[in-house]
Amino acid sequence: MADSLVPVKEIEEKMETDKMWVIMGPQHPFSHGLWTLKVQIDGEIVTDAEPIVGYLHRGWEKETENRTYPKVIPMADRLCYAASMTYTHLYCMTVEKALGIDIPEKAKYIRIVADEVCRIQSHLMWLAAVGTDLGNLTVFLWAMREREFFLDLNVKLCGARMTTNYPRIGGVRNDVTELFDRDILRTVDRFEKAMWDIIALMDESSIIVSRMKGVSYLTREQVANLGMTGPAMRGCGVDFDIRRDDPYDNYDKIDFEVPVLTEGDSYARYMIRIEEMFQSCDIIRQAVAKVRALGKNAPYRIKTPTKVPAGTSFCRLEDPRGESLMYLVSDGSDKPYRLKVRSPIFVNVSTSKAMCQGCRIADVPAILAQIDMCLGETDR
Amino acid sequence: MAIKYLDKYPKNLAKSLWVLKPQWTVLKLLAKTVRHRPVTVLYPYEKEWVPENYRGRPGLRFDKCVGCGMCVRMCPTACIKLVDATDDDGKTVRRPQVNLGRCAMCGYCAEYCPVDAMTVTPEYELAEFTRFDLLYGPRRLNYEKTTPGMEVKLEVTLPSDIANGNPERRVSLFALDRPELTDSKCIGCKKCAKVCPVNAIEMVEKGVNDKGKPILRPVIDNDKCICCSNCVDDCPKDALKIKEVL
Amino acid sequence: MAYSSILNWIDFYQNPMSNAYYPFGDIYNLPFDISYKLWELIGGTIAWLINLIFPGNPVSIWLMDDAACTLFALIIFMLIIFIVVFVCTLISLWMERKFLGRMMDRRGTMVGMKGFLQCVADGLKTFMKENTIPGKVDKMTYMWTVSLVIGVSVLVACMVPLSDRWFVVNYDTGLLIIMAFFALAPFFILVSGWAQNNKYSLIGGMRAAELMISYEVPMLIMIGTTALLAGSFNIGDIIDAQYETVWYIVPQIIGCITFFFAATAESERLPFDIAEAEAELVEGWQTEYAGMKWGLIMLADYFRGYVACAMFAIMYLGGWMLPGIGDGPIPEIVFLLKTWFVFFLMILVRAALARVRPDQILNIGWKVFMPLSVINLAIVLLLKVGGVF
Repeated sequence: MADSLVPVKEIEEKMETDKMWVIMGPQHPFSHGLWTLKVQIDGEIVTDAEPIVGYLHRGWEKETENRTYPKVIPMADRLCYAASMTYTHLYCMTVEKALGIDIPEKAKYIRIVADEVCRIQSHLMWLAAVGTDLGNLTVFLWAMREREFFLDLNVKLCGARMTTNYPRIGGVRNDVTELFDRDILRTVDRFEKAMWDIIALMDESSIIVSRMKGVSYLTREQVANLGMTGPAMRGCGVDFDIRRDDPYDNYDKIDFEVPVLTEGDSYARYMIRIEEMFQSCDIIRQAVAKVRALGKNAPYRIKTPTKVPAGTSFCRLEDPRGESLMYLVSDGSDKPYRLKVRSPIFVNVSTSKAMCQGCRIADVPAILAQIDMCLGETDR
Repeated sequence: MAIKYLDKYPKNLAKSLWVLKPQWTVLKLLAKTVRHRPVTVLYPYEKEWVPENYRGRPGLRFDKCVGCGMCVRMCPTACIKLVDATDDDGKTVRRPQVNLGRCAMCGYCAEYCPVDAMTVTPEYELAEFTRFDLLYGPRRLNYEKTTPGMEVKLEVTLPSDIANGNPERRVSLFALDRPELTDSKCIGCKKCAKVCPVNAIEMVEKGVNDKGKPILRPVIDNDKCICCSNCVDDCPKDALKIKEVL
Repeated sequence: MAYSSILNWIDFYQNPMSNAYYPFGDIYNLPFDISYKLWELIGGTIAWLINLIFPGNPVSIWLMDDAACTLFALIIFMLIIFIVVFVCTLISLWMERKFLGRMMDRRGTMVGMKGFLQCVADGLKTFMKENTIPGKVDKMTYMWTVSLVIGVSVLVACMVPLSDRWFVVNYDTGLLIIMAFFALAPFFILVSGWAQNNKYSLIGGMRAAELMISYEVPMLIMIGTTALLAGSFNIGDIIDAQYETVWYIVPQIIGCITFFFAATAESERLPFDIAEAEAELVEGWQTEYAGMKWGLIMLADYFRGYVACAMFAIMYLGGWMLPGIGDGPIPEIVFLLKTWFVFFLMILVRAALARVRPDQILNIGWKVFMPLSVINLAIVLLLKVGGVF
């Protein structure tokens, strides 16, 4: 029943049927954002798929060249609405690297807390999208309900729900607000309990599991060749996480597991993300304890020069969706000369042909939901 | 740290009777929401609590503002503009006007305001019928219920302080950097004294030149200066430069 | 006759069954009784008024004639039947919205009367929409198929009896006829999918056809099983047989679960709504329908859901009879409550489960439900041969 992989060639040889291009997008219920997936189908079986992105191109990289360094931070928020914290963090880290400064310990831990909150809410958004793509609206609303608690945490921390504008070059915008540490621990405890309800809805339902299990296999070699990163990569058996293997900020002082599964199918990619949420809860607990231990008066933001010395720097970070990277070329002025963003989705979505081939057309939303599309960063 | 979810799943679904567990879960929530209320907030009638530091539209305290233009300088969307306004004494002063149609609610104007005249406000219902109505003039930007929590303080620690083992000292960003004069470049045009919003620059005679005319040089009052760098920008000969303290 | 008083015209307490043209044989029919009395009031008043102006004219006398009374009463009878079914469907629609909302931790509709008026508002809204027809569709097929889908769904919903006194026809093969009409709509969906000149619609129509083919068979076997157990295809007889022995949910527990899911599939509700799977096929075969056409299609879906639940209540839950009590004063309410309970289960299934993939649906249909229905038939045969029933 679960075997939906039909050898495409055999079918092609047997039947002389016309193939049909079905264009899904840019305004299609399955595409979360403006993008198009052209799917060639033979009956119900997908024989080819071609993603088309670029509808949301805003000239982000060019626009940064006209702005001073601090002014790029609110723009980096707008790269991805669900992962604004990580992109801002990444930008600040890149500039700090170019400046050659080391930020205070407290700022590092606060950034970790903020990043993990961002990761959980981004993953919850993805879970909601998976729910609708599989046809279950209950999962969507339950996941969105849980996400709301984390957005509330963002409000308590920095005053905005999604476009947080929180990290700064040299630290963070403000110290953790009063009672924030208490609230975040409560939220995390509550979330870990509530998550099992959603899991009961997803993993205990044979329909959902059979929809995801056994479709769209990717091997390690394919993952390497296509440049896929993030939870989707770890679901295919590649044991790599920048937080652990190339630690930035203070991730090396925090104890956490990197979940890896070798199945390589859609369900494995799903499970990786669910486990990552639990791991994020652990990271938040440790980081909050560290922030508490540093005391109230510890520095959280240092003064940085406005002008960045000429040179280049790049930094990478584990985004909720994969490995995102920024490359900065500065010419000694107070504006970046060039800022290049490597978006994980832009690369991950190019795997859609490899993932969709041989599956049914009904699987296409369930498969591409595992990429967790976010067009803001893809098109930039 | 322990793996929490992957230890338990994937499960043998025959044990959970294939589809019965999710239905039981849903039924439990139905019982809960019938007894209590769903979590929905009926938005126009009920509103969520927002903290003091919530970043809604920018607010301005007219009397505190000195018209330095720091908000204009820092605004990433260039939605702030200095306009002429009449203050309480009838004098014409320069005050910021915000175009909320472009505002990104980033809070930079409040953060970088040296005198904390710009604040963030928890006001987020900003829909208007025309674009012109979205222009908030200096008086309209006033928010009555401004509390101290709405000011965004920009306090930094100096790297040198951390190196010296004094990491707990925090200073305002505007209390450190001061403009520095390169004497050879200055032509004594008095432009810096004119643009200084807080009158921290005084032109002082420093002897006479060859032709017998007085040589004027700006002297900066460090207590008054707010580091808005207006003088630096307007200096025709680039004689002034902000000296950064790190 | 001295037709001077209005009371001479209105014979309110006349038994419609004494009318020579009474269309239901010797069975009492409540909605016909109501419509007959309504016509006595309306027609009597009209006849009296005409008679006041033109005394002794033949039209007045014809209006209160036996044949004319039956004719006009039948017209009112149709309206009553339709309105009752319509309101019942709207209530199930409201139930779905409200219960689904609570299951998803939200509020559901909130417009007037605890949200019931949202159905009216939706109807008005779709009615106000522009009636757009895409340029390259086959217009005649496009319009006719949707009318037939809606018409057949309404027809079959009206044909479900609410009690032994609330029915339209009382055939000996009532159950079979309802199922036949119930299975008719997917044909039109298939044709409509072709007619729309749209790839999503085409795939949706094809899926509707394959769904129908694979689920019609187990469903018909289950109906045959029930008929076998009761010894009749007549709905009243089936319910009487359940009253005399036991609700058929007890001997046919396998069959009733199978029938429940097959009926869900047949009325194209989640988790089996592959024909309009919005995740991959925007709205499936309904993609090109706009405005009131789309609104009526949505309504037709709920009519079909209502029929499926009513069939379940008739076949397994004892219809309008309660064990030990029998008919009771208002059997219609008992029947509707049972129907809505089954509908509640459908809502629960919709809230908890996700959409099944088409190939999985076919697999489940042929490899799970088909054998289960045959096993159910075997059990019933054993029970029947063993003399339990």
